Amino acid sequence: MIQIDVTCTLGDFHLAPKLQVGPGITVLFGQSGAGKTLTLEAVAGLLTPDTGRIAIHDRPVFDAAAGLSVPPYDRRLGYVVQSYALFPHLTVAQNVAYGVFDLPRVEREQRVDGLLRTLGIQDLADRRPARISGGQAQRTALARALVRRPQALLLDEPFAALDEGVALTLRRELRRLVRDLDLPVLMVTHDLTEASHIGDRIAVMDAGRVLQFGDRPHVLQRPHSARVARLLGIANVLDGKVAGSESGISVRTPIGSLTTAQSGIADGPVQVAIRADQIILTRPDRPDDRPNILDIHITDEADFGHSRTLYARVANGTGPSARTLEIQIAPHPYQVMGVATRRHWRVHIPPDAVHVMKT
Amino acid sequence: MIRFAARKDPDLTPPTRATARAPLAWSQLLVWLLAALALALVLAPVGVLVARGVTQADIGAALTSPFVRGAVQLSLVTSAIAVLAIVVLGTPTAYLLARRRFPGRALVDAVIDLPIVLPPVVGGLALLLLLGRQGPVGGPLAGAGIDVAFTTAAVVLAQMFVAAPFYIRAARAGFESVDQRLEAVSSTLGARPWRTFRRITVPLALPSLAGGAVMAWARALGEFGATIMFAGNVAGRTQTMPLAILEAMEADANAAIAIAVVLAAIALAILIAFRGLALAGSRAL
Repeated sequence: MIQIDVTCTLGDFHLAPKLQVGPGITVLFGQSGAGKTLTLEAVAGLLTPDTGRIAIHDRPVFDAAAGLSVPPYDRRLGYVVQSYALFPHLTVAQNVAYGVFDLPRVEREQRVDGLLRTLGIQDLADRRPARISGGQAQRTALARALVRRPQALLLDEPFAALDEGVALTLRRELRRLVRDLDLPVLMVTHDLTEASHIGDRIAVMDAGRVLQFGDRPHVLQRPHSARVARLLGIANVLDGKVAGSESGISVRTPIGSLTTAQSGIADGPVQVAIRADQIILTRPDRPDDRPNILDIHITDEADFGHSRTLYARVANGTGPSARTLEIQIAPHPYQVMGVATRRHWRVHIPPDAVHVMKT
Repeated sequence: MIRFAARKDPDLTPPTRATARAPLAWSQLLVWLLAALALALVLAPVGVLVARGVTQADIGAALTSPFVRGAVQLSLVTSAIAVLAIVVLGTPTAYLLARRRFPGRALVDAVIDLPIVLPPVVGGLALLLLLGRQGPVGGPLAGAGIDVAFTTAAVVLAQMFVAAPFYIRAARAGFESVDQRLEAVSSTLGARPWRTFRRITVPLALPSLAGGAVMAWARALGEFGATIMFAGNVAGRTQTMPLAILEAMEADANAAIAIAVVLAAIALAILIAFRGLALAGSRAL
């Protein structure tokens, strides 16, 4: 468990992350410049914050009030920096062995051999970093970070420099490795797909702060604010106004009045987030008595291979809405329904997909 | 916060363009002519020296004479000690200049370079004023029975004075070229600063450190002005090879030429070694 609650001013940037990293993988997600790497550096002891406290397994390693700052070499953390920073003058095996120079030779060699084997790089032991691939460099960096049996693992964009195929394999392996070792992992990424694939928990970071922190499905489905929703790539974020009605809570939005499954929302201005992949496209020529049925006119579309995004205007009582709705649809239904053949369609937004946020 | 060193990317170097062959204009001819003159200025005198050394002066006989042997021996010993001392004192200086921000850093940087622009004779006089028998440091030392000026130690100090900047410059550039993330990672792997310095920083900066030491050695070996002011010209004690050339010119020009050819040969060897080190450094990574 890593507890982080610090502040640090660097020029005109204010870093103030607050989160707890438990077992499993915690993803620190945000755009570049959000302060993710600086947060890792603060935990590793490479950046000294101005105020606050950092504890690893209840042992404080930084406490501004007590004047405590444990140097990086005594924090017992594994840190994999972006693009790995392997020591270029040492072989793969020497890189991995670097952290256990203080062990007796036999034990040192056993531990290094074991890790090289676990990560499948035993054949590269005598190669220099300049002569191995990106994926192999990543495995080497991971082995090097694990060799001291760290109490936690810090990973900075560990898959950013890799081809997508290699990254997929390594992500799966990392998940398995972390489960076997039972290590808390704090991993930085700016890649939303990666964050949603690998994270047990997600901390959404923006402008030096953690905006939202929680279990992955919760964060992805229930963003706290419009800013988090946008960072998480939720395409449809609308202004609205709540008005309770007999059939549940409904929200007036620029695309019409929407019913939500959420409860306990006070009347007043709100924002509504609707994921593009939760909007259901239906044929316009059949009567439909479900809630949140909207007639739409598709104005544009984009093919992303594994899915298609439709951009549509909603026809309400007063004519087409100014606001565009994004709808994501898989290639198969797109083909079967013949979406390309006509522009007028109808969508159904399930009430539990209408996520209401306080402004 | 870690500063990231820019990475050299071989793919980003622009391809060399084949220059179109245009008729040689007069202005171009002039440029070539001036360049040839500059080259001749270096090559012609050295060429004559080597030619005379090989044809007229009996280098073998000159080298075995006690006079020349004494000077060669003294030069090699003093310059080796000077370079060793420069490395011991200059390495921490270079590291601090490369890695730490401290008040007066710009001033330190300028002071380090001072001996390069200062005439060596002036440096020698300054050393003499400080360490001579009447000097603020030399006086008390003389009182304790230690003489510095006009001894072999003075030769070493004079060489250190003029040669140190060459090592410190190169070492500093070498340290600056080491990616600081490597040092940061080393520290997270349990390495205290001294271990990081020995295992990461020094090995990666080694080509620059060695190149700087070689250049400093060359400068120390050729030192003349500061030595003659501060150490004098006493055979066997302070008479290094350059000073021996001066004395030999008055009696036996052939001995002077022989020593000069030996110095030139060493200089050439140093130049080749330096180029080799630079090449090895760029190939190692």
